[in-house]
Amino acid sequence: MRVISKRTVRGAGSGGALGALALVMWASAGVTAQTPTARIVGAANGFLATLDPTQRERVLFAFDDQEQRVRWSNFPVKMTPRGGLSLGELSARQRSAAMALLSSALSPRGLEKVQQIMEGDEVLKTSEGNNPMFGKDLYSLSILGTPSETTPWMLQFGGHHLALNVTIAGEHGILTPTLTGAQPALYTAGGKTVRPLGQESDKAFALLTALDEGQKKQAILSFRVADLVLGPGQDGKTIQPEGLKASAMNDRQRALLLDLIQEWTGIVHEGAAAARMAEVRAGLGETWFAWSGPTTVAPGRNITAYYRVQGPTLVLEYAPQRLGGDLSMHVHTMYRDPTNDYGRKFWAK
Amino acid sequence: MKTRPAAAAAILLTIGAPAFAHRLDEYLQATILSIDGQRVHASMRLAPGVAVSSFVLAGIDRDADGVLSAVEVRAYAERVVAGLSLSFDGDPVPLRLVSSAAAQIEDLREGLGDIRLEVEASLPRRGGGHRLRFENHHQGPAAAYLVNCLVPTDPDIRITAQRRNDDQSVYELEYTEASGSISLVSDRWTRIGGWLGTAALLLFARSALPRRRRGLMAVGPRS
Repeated sequence: MRVISKRTVRGAGSGGALGALALVMWASAGVTAQTPTARIVGAANGFLATLDPTQRERVLFAFDDQEQRVRWSNFPVKMTPRGGLSLGELSARQRSAAMALLSSALSPRGLEKVQQIMEGDEVLKTSEGNNPMFGKDLYSLSILGTPSETTPWMLQFGGHHLALNVTIAGEHGILTPTLTGAQPALYTAGGKTVRPLGQESDKAFALLTALDEGQKKQAILSFRVADLVLGPGQDGKTIQPEGLKASAMNDRQRALLLDLIQEWTGIVHEGAAAARMAEVRAGLGETWFAWSGPTTVAPGRNITAYYRVQGPTLVLEYAPQRLGGDLSMHVHTMYRDPTNDYGRKFWAK
Repeated sequence: MKTRPAAAAAILLTIGAPAFAHRLDEYLQATILSIDGQRVHASMRLAPGVAVSSFVLAGIDRDADGVLSAVEVRAYAERVVAGLSLSFDGDPVPLRLVSSAAAQIEDLREGLGDIRLEVEASLPRRGGGHRLRFENHHQGPAAAYLVNCLVPTDPDIRITAQRRNDDQSVYELEYTEASGSISLVSDRWTRIGGWLGTAALLLFARSALPRRRRGLMAVGPRS
């Protein structure tokens, strides 16, 4: 069921002048010190203020709209349509406000990662003869509930190889479940080599190589893992962990593991990321690292192995894909908290 | 049987979960097991890649009318289940199909959809250590298997080991059931006498070992 928030519609006004005024107010408010949540709410209202009533109706969903909540995928949007408004449907001003909203909810590195994933899809589009199935314009934004500093609401942004589900509940910012992916996982832009998920590859490999032989025997699974186990549609599931437990790692190895985990937890803004990392650290002793596949990597390329990090409140998966022919060039990753996907702790009855 | 719109709609409605990975030349068969002591449940997601989908679909759409009817999907699911095997402490346990559903044939053809099966088996309930062995040999040459087990929600059940062969077509799970109830008596009681045997034991305990009556009662079988 889709519901337009009357409060938001009234606050946004129906005319362009009111919208512009709201945008200016939002921009000037950003000058003063704000809590992260206030900043995100302001950016959300600023974005909504740029939309006409029809667009607002399309971008807003009821917070309890479960169908929309789980409408995310790794697939291109032509194959699995998302809800909300796509960037290609927005004017330059609206698009700028949408990106400002995204920027307010994410860390600078998180935003950069998202932009690199989208840019990669643009590269894919070009390499496939301007294939309309791909490209930056197809990424969509939707809002569940009413942007609020106190009442839970949710921001979704995604498309091919990207599904950000950011639940804002008071000062809490929950990023799970989130899917990131890349194809091509390595490309050149502005004369620079870009690997959107290169750190997820490099840091995991650094951890693997830091293990001694006995630890590797524990961490390296003897069987092939062909794909994500807890990808889209697998909300709230906790599988039996495997591999090497962090309690059997030394301090340096645990630091490498935390640094790896930060590649996902650090996508959201710094305040929420810090709270999340505190949670992860608290469960670190019960966190497992498992690896399946080749234990070597070509210089400057991504690994072609699957790995999983699993703790009491954490599941990370990195799964290279065969589609495209080169496992190092196509990857899907998943970030979950089976105990708190979509921030359920803060709103589920 | 030709397509029935209502049946087809019912099939599609049951596929509520979002689509998953886009595959190429493999037939992904992902199974997540869960155990609760009295039964094992298997949720299976079968996702044919675009390069093998026509082969898989030919096995489902038997009348080749371009539509997957509920009957066709069910028949295919039964064939999948026939390719599975489960054993409990070395004894074969029959698996039964609970439900089946398939995405639209167009999505499956393009490597975008999946087929979902819910399968289960009853387990003899008795404490102590156990070994489950799950095998999947459905369409092996093109298959990419994944098998995992959920962490049991029953705090009395603890998984102690998982083993797989290299392609995960064979999966072994070891677990202990810590209720201590029937583990204090021989497993044979449950095999040959079930409740009757247990009742006889309790009667025996009551008369012959009065001092231990309370302990036996306290660890009696759970409902």
